[in-house]
Amino acid sequence: MAQSGKGKLNYRCPSCFMRDLDIDMFYDKDKEEYYCLRCQFTGTEEEVLAGNEMVRTRYKAMHKRFTKFDFD
Amino acid sequence: MSEFILNVIHRPEMVPEYSATVTGHGKEEDIGDKKLLTESLDIFKTQQRLAHENGLKVTIHMTYAALFNEEAVQIAKEDHEKYGDEIALSLLGLPCEQFREKYKTKDFCIWMFSMEDKKQIVDDVFEKFHDIFGFYPESTGSYYMDAELTNYIKEAYPSVKCAIATCWEEGPKAYHTCNNSWYTLFDGGPWAPWIPSKQNTHAPAANEEEDSGIVAIPHLSRDLLACYDGNGSNFGTHPQNVLRGMIYDSKTWEYPYLYNLIDQYRAQEKYNNGYAYNMMFVGPGWMNKMGRWEAPYELLLKSYSDGCKYYGQLKKEGKLIDMTMSEFADYYREKKTYTEPECALWRDILYGSDKQLFWYTDPYMRAGVNMDQGGAIFDLRPYAAKLKWEVGIGTKHVQDASYPFLIQEKYRAGYFTHYAGEGTIRSAKLCHNGEEVDLCLCRTKAHFSQEGNTRILTLDPVTIEFADLTVKLQTKEYFEEGTGSIKIERTILEMSDPDAEVELNEYMVACYGTTEYPEDMTGIILTCEGAETKSINYEYKCREESLADAKAVAAVVPAIETKVSMTQTGGAEGYIREGYAFSPMFTLGYKKKVSDKEVFATWLNLEKAN
Repeated sequence: MAQSGKGKLNYRCPSCFMRDLDIDMFYDKDKEEYYCLRCQFTGTEEEVLAGNEMVRTRYKAMHKRFTKFDFD
Repeated sequence: MSEFILNVIHRPEMVPEYSATVTGHGKEEDIGDKKLLTESLDIFKTQQRLAHENGLKVTIHMTYAALFNEEAVQIAKEDHEKYGDEIALSLLGLPCEQFREKYKTKDFCIWMFSMEDKKQIVDDVFEKFHDIFGFYPESTGSYYMDAELTNYIKEAYPSVKCAIATCWEEGPKAYHTCNNSWYTLFDGGPWAPWIPSKQNTHAPAANEEEDSGIVAIPHLSRDLLACYDGNGSNFGTHPQNVLRGMIYDSKTWEYPYLYNLIDQYRAQEKYNNGYAYNMMFVGPGWMNKMGRWEAPYELLLKSYSDGCKYYGQLKKEGKLIDMTMSEFADYYREKKTYTEPECALWRDILYGSDKQLFWYTDPYMRAGVNMDQGGAIFDLRPYAAKLKWEVGIGTKHVQDASYPFLIQEKYRAGYFTHYAGEGTIRSAKLCHNGEEVDLCLCRTKAHFSQEGNTRILTLDPVTIEFADLTVKLQTKEYFEEGTGSIKIERTILEMSDPDAEVELNEYMVACYGTTEYPEDMTGIILTCEGAETKSINYEYKCREESLADAKAVAAVVPAIETKVSMTQTGGAEGYIREGYAFSPMFTLGYKKKVSDKEVFATWLNLEKAN
């Protein structure tokens, strides 16, 4: 089995991101999957991207443009 | 008239942070890699173009490595002539062949070198700068500038009047986010420009004698709510920070959060005598042609372009004044007095919670107030101590440059703890017939006002429901400029039984530290002062003392040369409480029976304890 490398984009582990950790993932070309060195996450590119969307669920106001910043 | 000031800073970095590890992954290290040099210069040129196209002036922070690059020097000279950009000198970006050869180290953070090396490096880069440009710079900076470093620079190169001197709340949280490999441990400083004291960079100077001689600016303007709990580098006026946090629509590549962040900073002029500030500083590594993490280069470029465009638009509308760093230093000195505080009334603009915080900084303290916890103080840094805290190799704190806290609700819990013990917080409890309600559970909002030199937070009244009694209470917090004190006033507006009494317990649970882990509390002395003095020398024995109508309840924390006390309007019983090993805290407080329409006030006071 050959060594792993970086993918075409340098994806972070979505599972670690959810606990405020930026961990680069590596790509295993034999298994065609990204995997995290720190936790047990493995996934295809689609699964990584889906995980990134889950990350965003914490940002409930991400799409909102605020015009008022006080409560007066 | 309100003024929103912007500093845009670019640095031509010949070996950009991250580029070497991203572009160079799978290759042996080559610090002189020509591909990296070309790419870095291209990014710098792009950044300069985007700023100038949008009518923005730039402060160019030449790195040591860039001083050896003729093209970078030429660009700086030309843009100075054409656009009025300031040519300044960064203490970031030290790594290059020449530096490695001379200093035989891979260290690159100026604050972590030994004092001897700091002086040598400063002399080296400042003299090299002078050789190239024929003058000494007026602005400099790094991610952190310790007081000893700044004092040396000011002494040796008095032309320097402005410096990037800290990243707000970039401490253990950033370290954790970077897989415990990013050693920027400097929590506890101001979030907006200040005049650092000679004793400690974080602590603003109280007078001319303490004045370090520079105006400090923060590295980026950061989200004052999101950064306190999460990774600071996801929430700042660094457009790629917003991408790092994945705070954008992955289909449309829109990021209203970036504009909300800028606009919320603009709104701070209401609390700071008509002045607000922003700083944008993106290192070239963040616009890497290879992309950065899941963001392709096109998105990185778009975000920087959009950031410049928005600031440029504000400028065209007369809502923003762009300045170079040295221009800003002159403006700031003209605008601010030593004791004038920096205030921020900040709301959540990302998570949809409507939580609201208030931040206050002056030469005596930095304090954070959480309206979602009834106005509890959740962070407190005793700048009054002006703690000498040398950092770098050969000192007691090689990496840890944070200003110590007395209260930090994330590192030492706050209201909520697991199983046993207490967390650090300054709040109050109401007790009635065996029931107890902490104001930390009363969610409210605050309104800002100013009377003379006192900034006042008036909180919307909250209702406390006991089984047989309802109490309506209002909190007002007074930040009295130049005193090192915060007055907290509670007013009983209404009781369902006007003849009832409740016990008001004003308390502060505190300790000290800079990280998530406990420090040794031995040596702390707790006292009740009044008709007599009662003391407890901290030995983790869970003891408590009280004194009727105590004039003050106090703690002296020798490790951080700080005395913190509470005083009162009168009539309350003061108490002091020692912690134990599973709860390494101390508590100061006052208990008083209060009735309908009664007003009771306490003060939290900070002093230096030698």
